[in-house]
Amino acid sequence: MIPHDILTLYSAKMIEYGIAILFLLVFIPFWNYVQGPSAVAVPVQARVRQAAAAGAQWFQVPLDRLFHRGHAWARPEADGLVTVGLDGFAANLIGPLAAVGLPHVGAAVGQGERAWRLIAEDGRAVEMLSPVDGVIADINRDLVSAPDAAQTDPYGAGWLLRIRPDRLRANSTNLLSGPAARRWMDEAVAGLQQACSPELGALAQDGGVPVSGMARAIDPEHWDRIARTHLLTDEKEAAHV
Amino acid sequence: MRSTTARALPARSWVTDKLFLGLPFAEYLKSLATPGNFVVGLILAVGLPVLAYRFAYGLGASTNLSQTNPWGIWIGFDMLGGVALAAGGYTIATSVYIFGLKQYHPIVRPAILTGFLGYLFAVLGLTADLGRPWNLPVPLFISWGGPSVMFEIAWCVVLYLTVLGLEFLPPVFQWLGWKKALAVATKATIGLTVIGVMLSTLHQSSLGGLFLMAPGKLHPLWYSPFIPAYFFISSIAAGLSMVIVESGLSHRAFKSRVDHHVNLDTLVVGLARGASVVLFCYFFVKLQGVADSGRWAMLNTGYGYWFLVEVLGFVLLPSLVFAWAARRAFVTLIRWTAAWTVLGIIVNRLNVSVIALNWNVADRYFPSWMEVMVSVTLVTLGITAFRWIVNRMPVLNEHEPSDDRAR
Repeated sequence: MIPHDILTLYSAKMIEYGIAILFLLVFIPFWNYVQGPSAVAVPVQARVRQAAAAGAQWFQVPLDRLFHRGHAWARPEADGLVTVGLDGFAANLIGPLAAVGLPHVGAAVGQGERAWRLIAEDGRAVEMLSPVDGVIADINRDLVSAPDAAQTDPYGAGWLLRIRPDRLRANSTNLLSGPAARRWMDEAVAGLQQACSPELGALAQDGGVPVSGMARAIDPEHWDRIARTHLLTDEKEAAHV
Repeated sequence: MRSTTARALPARSWVTDKLFLGLPFAEYLKSLATPGNFVVGLILAVGLPVLAYRFAYGLGASTNLSQTNPWGIWIGFDMLGGVALAAGGYTIATSVYIFGLKQYHPIVRPAILTGFLGYLFAVLGLTADLGRPWNLPVPLFISWGGPSVMFEIAWCVVLYLTVLGLEFLPPVFQWLGWKKALAVATKATIGLTVIGVMLSTLHQSSLGGLFLMAPGKLHPLWYSPFIPAYFFISSIAAGLSMVIVESGLSHRAFKSRVDHHVNLDTLVVGLARGASVVLFCYFFVKLQGVADSGRWAMLNTGYGYWFLVEVLGFVLLPSLVFAWAARRAFVTLIRWTAAWTVLGIIVNRLNVSVIALNWNVADRYFPSWMEVMVSVTLVTLGITAFRWIVNRMPVLNEHEPSDDRAR
C-alpha cells in the first residue's frame, strides 16, 4: 500500500488531485446539461407548455389582487374592507351558474374555510374557500337576480363579498400575487390540460376562448368532483369508517 | 356510479369491506384465480417448504456456504441488495420533508412502503442466513458489542425498520378511518424523516464498513477505505432508481388506484436528473478509490474487466443515459435505465460480498438451488405484500374518496 503522507509528492497523490480537478471541471457543465431545458420538444412537454402559455392568456391575473390557492381572490380596499370573489379559472371551470349561495352579513369566515357555494345549471353545487379571515360586511345582492355575473365578470361586477379582515397581514403570507400568481395560474391550467379532452387541447393550441364549464368538458358525469379537487374543497373522508 | 334504485344488499362487514375488497368471500376467492397469482402460488409451494427445510436441517444441508465462504446470496442479494434498493424511502422522504421538494409528495407513500417491505424481507433473509437466528436479540439487548460494526448495523436496521413502520402508519390509519390517530401520525412525519435519514446514513455506509476488516479477502479493485462512502452514495442512486421502477410498475398494475391528477412522468424526469448526478459523482469517487490504491495495472485482468463492466456499464453509462433522457423527457428510456441501475446495484453488492470476496481462494462459492429458491420466495412474498397493501390502503392516492373502494 502506498503510504498516505500529506507533504510528500508522489504519483498516486497527483493522480488523485488530477481526478478531483477533472471532476470539478466536468461536473459544472454536466450539472448544467442535466438541469437545462429540453433540447427537443416532446409531445407531453410541448402540450403542457402550450397549455400553460395559453392559460396565461386565457385567465387574467390582475396585479391588484391577492389569490388564494382555492381560486378565490381578495382585494384590499381603501376603507379597510377586503373585496372577495372567484377567479377566472374557477369561473370557467364551473361554467354558467344558476345561483350563488353567499353567507349572511355578520357571519365569520376563515381563510381556507368554505365560505360560499356556486350552484351550476344542473343543480350541482361546488363550495369555495375564503381567502381571508374576517366578518362579512356586505354581499353582492345583484347576484341574486343575475348570478351569471360571477362567472362572466368575476373580477368586476361579479364580486361576491366584502369582508372586514381580522388578520390581513398574516393571511397575505398565504396568498399569491404578481409573477407568483401568474406562475401558479399557469400550473393550474397545465394540470387541467393533463386531464383535458382533445377538443379542449385544440382550443388551447389555436388560442381560442376556453370552454365555459371546463370541468364538464373533461368529465360530464363527475365534473363537480373535478371542480372540487381544483378548488380544494373535495371531501377527504376516511376510506371506511 | 351508484344506481338510485338500489338492490337490497346485505350490510358489509368490516372484514368484507377491508380485507376482501367489498366482495363476498366466495367471490373474493374466485377473483384470486389469475395467472400472476398462479405463478406466486407455485413459487410459494416450492419456496416455503425449502425455507422450512433450511430451518429443520440447517445451513449445511440447504446451502453451499462453508467456513471459507460463510456469506452467500442471502447476504449479498437479500440483505445488502435489499437494503440498498429499499433506500427509496429515506431519499424521497428527505427530498419532500427536509429539502421541501413538495412536488414529489405523491410518491412518498409508495416509496416508504417499498422501503419498509424491502427492509422487512431483508431481515427475513438475514434470519435464514444466521446459523442461530434465535440469538438475534443478543447483540440488541443482552450483550452489546460497541466496537463492532455489526452491532451498529443491527441496531440501526431494527430502529429504521421501526421508523419505516411508523412512517407508514398514516395510510394505515386512513384505511381504518381513525382520524385522530391519523392526525397524530401525520404530525410525527418530519421527526421520523429526520431520524430515518440519520439511521440510513449510518447503516447504509456501515454495511460497506463490514468489508473494511477484510482487505486480504476482498479484491483490491473493490476494496477501499472508502467502501462506506461507496455504499452510501450508491444507495441514493439505488433508491431513486428503485422508485422510478416501482412507480412505473405500480401505475401500470394498479391503474384504478392511482391519483390521476399527478403527472408521474414529470416526477420521473426529476428523479432521473437526481439519479444522473448521484451516479456521476459515484463514478468519480470509485475512480478516486482506484487511484488511491494505485492498482491501475489490475484493470488489465479478468477481475479488472469485470470491475470496468460494473463501473462503466452500470454506473457511468446509466448516469449519461439518465441525463440525456431527462433532457428529452424520454420517460420510457428513463424507466429502462432505472431498471439497469437497479441491476447494477445488485451486481455491485454481489461483487463485494460474493464474487470478488475470496477472489484468490481455490474454494469458490456458488449458490445452491435452495438458496436461490429462498431468495426468489422472499422477493415474491415482498411483492405479494405490496400488492395486498396497495389494493386496500390509500398508498398510490392519498386523496382516495371512500366510494372508489368498490372493485
